[in-house]
Amino acid sequence: MKIRYLFYLALLAFVVSCKPEVNEFTPSKGGADFTTYVAVGNSLTAGYADGALYKSGQSYSWANILGQQFATVGGGAFVQPVVTSEFGVLPGKRKLGLSTDCLGVQSLGPVLDNGELDPYTNHVDYAVNNLGVPGAKALHLLAPGYGNPANLAAGLANPYFVRFASTTDPNITVVGQAMSMSPTFFSLWIGNNDVLGYATSGGAGDVITDTLAFSEYYFGLIQTLTTGGAKGVVANIPGVTSTAFFTTIPSDVIDIPDTPEGQGYLAILNGEQGYAPYNAFMESHGLPYRITFAIGPNQMVIKDPAMSFYDLPEQLQIRQMVDGELALLTLPQDSIKCATWGSGVPVPDQYILTKAEIDYITSSTTAFNDIIYQAALAKGLAFVDVNAIMSEVATTGVTFDGITFTNTFVTGNLFSLDGIHLTPQGNAVVANYFIDAINGQYGAQIPKVSVANYPPIPFP
Amino acid sequence: MRKITLFLLSSLLFSMTVFAGGYQVRLQGNKQNGMGLVGTSLNMGSSSIFYNPGALSLMKDRFHFELGASGIMSNVDFQRAGSNENYQTDNPMSTPFYVYGAGKINDMITVGIGVYTPYGSTSKWDDNWTGKLLIQDIALKAIFVQPTVSFNFNEKFGIGAGFILAMGDVEINKAINYSNDAKANLKGSSTSYGFNIGAFYKVTDKLAFGVDYRSEIKMKVEGGDATFIVPASLQTTIPPTNKFNAELPLPANLDFSVSFQATEKLLLAFELDWVMWGTYKSLDFTFDKQGVLLDSKNPREYKDTYIPRIGAQYSLNDKFQLRAGMYYDQSPTNEKYFTPETVSLNTFAYTLGLSYNPIEKLSIDVSFLQLFGQTAEKEYTPDNFKGTYQTIVYIPGIGISYKF
Repeated sequence: MKIRYLFYLALLAFVVSCKPEVNEFTPSKGGADFTTYVAVGNSLTAGYADGALYKSGQSYSWANILGQQFATVGGGAFVQPVVTSEFGVLPGKRKLGLSTDCLGVQSLGPVLDNGELDPYTNHVDYAVNNLGVPGAKALHLLAPGYGNPANLAAGLANPYFVRFASTTDPNITVVGQAMSMSPTFFSLWIGNNDVLGYATSGGAGDVITDTLAFSEYYFGLIQTLTTGGAKGVVANIPGVTSTAFFTTIPSDVIDIPDTPEGQGYLAILNGEQGYAPYNAFMESHGLPYRITFAIGPNQMVIKDPAMSFYDLPEQLQIRQMVDGELALLTLPQDSIKCATWGSGVPVPDQYILTKAEIDYITSSTTAFNDIIYQAALAKGLAFVDVNAIMSEVATTGVTFDGITFTNTFVTGNLFSLDGIHLTPQGNAVVANYFIDAINGQYGAQIPKVSVANYPPIPFP
Repeated sequence: MRKITLFLLSSLLFSMTVFAGGYQVRLQGNKQNGMGLVGTSLNMGSSSIFYNPGALSLMKDRFHFELGASGIMSNVDFQRAGSNENYQTDNPMSTPFYVYGAGKINDMITVGIGVYTPYGSTSKWDDNWTGKLLIQDIALKAIFVQPTVSFNFNEKFGIGAGFILAMGDVEINKAINYSNDAKANLKGSSTSYGFNIGAFYKVTDKLAFGVDYRSEIKMKVEGGDATFIVPASLQTTIPPTNKFNAELPLPANLDFSVSFQATEKLLLAFELDWVMWGTYKSLDFTFDKQGVLLDSKNPREYKDTYIPRIGAQYSLNDKFQLRAGMYYDQSPTNEKYFTPETVSLNTFAYTLGLSYNPIEKLSIDVSFLQLFGQTAEKEYTPDNFKGTYQTIVYIPGIGISYKF
């Protein structure tokens, strides 16, 4: 009797469950409508990477990833203004490769990757959902004629917008073109360039957008994007100074070896032919600046125009860097190694962020982020705290699927070969944070992507 | 009795979906397989070499030989946390086997030898699956050779001990994040030793007790072959060929069991197995070249488990015996360190068995097990790898035994 039951049970179990099947997740759109999604922003939204906007890099943009995931909850096609070249629209794409420095030493690093471009004059004639424009600041999204080729010569247009701006209205704004799509959902990630332009020029070119002006632009953008009742997600600005672009070259990169040559060079630097007169001058004028070198790593000598405050002549507006100041990835390494930059020759201002400049960037970033948060709050939008995420990346790193993301250049997996823009895996991470924010705000269940399914930085 | 058993079975089946057991495989006798893998208090002949060397000297026949194998067909389904992406294993069938032979030297002493495969694990995920940086596939095999001697004090009480020579092989493939096809292959083998001791006490004709201890064996791979497929520019930091050392513990078992001849035809048996998984703290690899860069420590932090088993045998007539059983195997894994290399979930299993004796000396034994791994969300925190797993395993087995 019992045996018979057992056999029945066995048969039942066999029939019911031949294969295991987990079904714990049902995609749903919650309180949002993803039918028409438009992405408004800058190079990060566009999918810019490795110093260029190129075909495969663009396909991995977090906005595109988001658009694909929205498709599981009723989202329509997400169309990007496709770049057809793997080398980009403008030259400057980098790849990992071997290069030989001025000392004849070969090393692996970013090198130019030249090839046939897809120039911006090849106009994209179809309507696009990804309106990310590399280089755009908040103001630019509202600027009439920013996509008008006639304005290029005057610097009032952006070739990346020119290539896909509607030709029916040559003075259409980026946000205006976004609205022409009648979006039901939008993302807005803008503001990075409002500080980044200043930061990547070492505080020497460009200016940081005025905070009041930023507030006006930002609320204006949000007002426009929500007029049709669209829901959306916004992201704030990361601390740009923790990106690999600013953290890769240490300020104490001047290494004087304990060799006869090193000792000799040291004697020159610290002697009457070197900085002894400078130190004497500073001392006699009661100023705290001193330049001294020792065996081992030394802080670089830099130009600091801010020292004009002390009425110093230009050739004395130099000093050694201090801990916490940053050298830019664009600083020519060969000039350090072979042309005594940083020791005999002061490093030009545009390669350095001084403490004062960093403070200015940080306080502006905080002010802008406050505005972004207030705008998100006022309109009940999903909000991605990229600034907090970036802090975590820069301090402890974050790990997904066995890949650890830090702000280390190349091996940190997050930043592509320009040190600022994201790798495909970095884009996937960002897309997942956006999805988390949207799911949280709108009670949606948009599936997240597998970070490990995206390619790493290719090594030669 | 019948009602209680049925009730227990159905409630287990429906309240907890099922499987576990790390990489231990206790399929060492097709008669025992059919009875919920209970064996320590049974005297089924030469398979006592594995289940309880103490029972060996009390076997009824002068010579006894057993030979058999099982086919483990396992399927794992994984769904990433926060997503509807599913991934399945494509595990090849693994085939644990056993061979035993035993003979009585005299009334008191019996000797025997067994060759069996009590540990093994084969998980084959797709090369490009979402967890490829943790594991693509792993094959772990161990063959034990155990010469055994058993001694009985009287017709009721026997003790026995076996020396174990354990030969292990392991091969692991995993992707590394340097290019789309960069990967590491680790391949090694080991030879180690252990022992198996047991005592068997037949209190009455109807009631028997057994206890058995199998020692821990550390599978030590020394100088295993590591092959790294990486882009050319990285081959100075990651040498394409390397040697590695690693150690994987095969845990000790302490089994307590009681069997009871309820009626002339019905034999019931119960067992509790204490599996000392707590010894498995970490899976560490150290490399000869570039050790600083490549060495890895991978926490596992397993905990001991206790497996309750119940089995029954019903003698239909002289020619047929029917068997059934079930057990509940907890997962030894740690909440924070559940990896897809050994998908070990809390598992419920039921077992069925049948023996046919065409002649008195020969028995043909078949068994069938079905294991259900409890659907559970698990995480490997060091890699932030999280998702829900479910497993279903089918294990048909066949064996023969011959006595004279």
